Amino acid sequence: MKKIPRIAALILAAALLLSLCGCGAVDGKTHLKFQIWDVAQRESMQAVCDAYTEKHPDVVIEVQVTSWNEYWTKLEAAAESNTMPDIFWMHTNQILYYSDFGILADVTELYNDVEPGYYENHFSDISIGNAQGSDGRMYGVPKDKDNIFLVYNKEMFDAAGVAYPDENWTWDDLVNASQTIYDKTGNYGYMAYNDDQMGYWSFVYQAGGYILNEDFTKAGFDQPGTKKGMEFYVGLQDYDWCPKQAYFAETAPGTAFFSGIGAMYIEGNWELMNKCVNFPNMDGKWDIAPMPKCPDPVSGDGRATISNGLCYSTAAKGRTRDIALDVIKFFGTEEAQLLASSYGAAISAYNGTEQPYFDAFDKKGYDINVEMVMDQFEYGVQNVNNAAKPKWKSPVLDEVNKVYNGQQSLEQAMAKMQQIVDTETAKKLAGN
Amino acid sequence: MKKNKLSPAARREQNWAYIMVAPTIIGLLVLNLWPFAQTIYTSFCEHLGFGHYKFIGLANYAEMFQTPEFWKATWNTILFCILTVPVGLFLSLLVAMLLNAKIKFKGGFRTIFFLPMVCAPAAVTMVWRWIFNGEYGILNQALGAKIGWITDPNFVMISCAIVAIWSNIGYDAVLLLAGLQNIPKTLYEANSIDGAGKVKQFFTITLPMVSPTLFVVMIMRLMASVKVYDLIYMMVEETNPAVTSVQSLMYLFYRESFVAGSRGMGSAIVIWTVLLIGLVTVIQFYGQKKWVNYDV
Repeated sequence: MKKIPRIAALILAAALLLSLCGCGAVDGKTHLKFQIWDVAQRESMQAVCDAYTEKHPDVVIEVQVTSWNEYWTKLEAAAESNTMPDIFWMHTNQILYYSDFGILADVTELYNDVEPGYYENHFSDISIGNAQGSDGRMYGVPKDKDNIFLVYNKEMFDAAGVAYPDENWTWDDLVNASQTIYDKTGNYGYMAYNDDQMGYWSFVYQAGGYILNEDFTKAGFDQPGTKKGMEFYVGLQDYDWCPKQAYFAETAPGTAFFSGIGAMYIEGNWELMNKCVNFPNMDGKWDIAPMPKCPDPVSGDGRATISNGLCYSTAAKGRTRDIALDVIKFFGTEEAQLLASSYGAAISAYNGTEQPYFDAFDKKGYDINVEMVMDQFEYGVQNVNNAAKPKWKSPVLDEVNKVYNGQQSLEQAMAKMQQIVDTETAKKLAGN
Repeated sequence: MKKNKLSPAARREQNWAYIMVAPTIIGLLVLNLWPFAQTIYTSFCEHLGFGHYKFIGLANYAEMFQTPEFWKATWNTILFCILTVPVGLFLSLLVAMLLNAKIKFKGGFRTIFFLPMVCAPAAVTMVWRWIFNGEYGILNQALGAKIGWITDPNFVMISCAIVAIWSNIGYDAVLLLAGLQNIPKTLYEANSIDGAGKVKQFFTITLPMVSPTLFVVMIMRLMASVKVYDLIYMMVEETNPAVTSVQSLMYLFYRESFVAGSRGMGSAIVIWTVLLIGLVTVIQFYGQKKWVNYDV
């Protein structure tokens, strides 16, 4: 009888050991981790992975979602200890920082055996630009492309007797419509809050200004167009019909919009399907329209929308680099990009694979003018980026925040912003 | 000389003692002291990215002392301590005494007061954010006011202090309760025979007798308050216009190290905080001689 405890202990110890081995592959297959930050795209990413593993049964890919806020802290720590996920999404905010340090695998030659000039033939310049490092090499396979637009509440427009926004809308129409809606319905008009990509950037480019110059070495906060765009955008919170920045600290504009509190806000197309699914009771009551244009730009035609795009990357020194490269090579094919589009979560970057994205809305019966997003790519502006962006992004937003809460004038803020971006950029250029 | 005269058995025992404490000591060295040394070194470096550092001497400190945000964060941290520690201690002692008194449902009350301690801080702050919400929050509804509790620079610090005090009362009260229960009943009996009132009893018996526990709780609470981060991070997001009015040193450290990637600067802030905690603790240890009573 004495033996029983011993045997039990042995079994327990064995179980412990087994659980330790659990992290290694016991089934002889290659296990890959695929890290993303958008839970709304888990399904489409899983589908693309399944399409790959169907052809390569010896590979298992696990899609892991980490929230945007933690994603970059985790990824950088993993990069330092060389334990990065096998495949991961890369964002324009960070790609230069990562690629300059040689963290990301160079995928410029990835498709040479398939078709020379593969990227140039099948992807837009913006998509390619969003996946390039400072040296002009490709450090990711373009995944998707997006832009931002105006979302509006049809019921509020009807109630106020204002015509829906269309492609001829200017800044003045935006202000007038907001005022009328506020006066007649008591709801907020256009909800302008402190943000760069989703906020003042588009307005700056519409006015003919820029955030970074053409070779990304200097900021443009001293340009008349930039000043015009920012003055207009930041000034919107002075109107009664726009909630103040303090309001947005507690309520996101999207939340306010879908709770029927405000009539308009700016959203990116990657959120559309998510919003349709999450707010079924709002179905048919809202729609999207192009970004309003600047009526009297300093230069240009007054049209602009910030267009961004993600890419699939893998670590330069990853343990499973070759297999991971093969996987992202597949992710960049027409087949995979068509499949990813069809879930309606993001517009695939590969030219000609966009349609399934738009069809997805029809198929699920959501009644919004989503095709408009495609037309906007014509005047899309590549998401502002240089290698020092992680250093200047937050401080610049802080300066704008201080304008909103009255601590400084916009002019003072813009002078500081110019200095912050130029100093950090110069430091980065000198360092490399 | 005496050491050498240990018998072989005693020496063997001594060796065993070393082996027994080794895991803790090694853990302390590897997990606490080594990172601390690294932090000191990092504070003299510029972080180039992905673990590459360049030695730049005192430049981080020079820059840090010139930044208004840093001084603001230091002041915010001190203010947070001033707001939370005295009030928190007073309330905890009050609660501990009430829980020690002869009341019904004592166990139930003790559990209720301890509950905030068992709740996840993230969940606690989410609930408080709803309560404090300027537009739809229950607090403003009840007061009939429209105060931006967590967005108005004048109120945000008080709101955070309230949540901090609320979450810690239970824990501190339980510690103090243990201290109170160690006071011999005979002291009170003798005292009331002498004709002393409740208030006098408190100052002549309760306070001196519980002072060692109170001292420990105070040190712990002060250190935790200097290091406050999670609560403010959860309550006040980066886009909140009131963020500079409540940003603590550890919040600033987080933003420098992990948002902006300037780990050298982040480490310098940490070293400054360590010095601050050291200073406060030294003052307390000297101050305790005046009010903490160890004679029973």
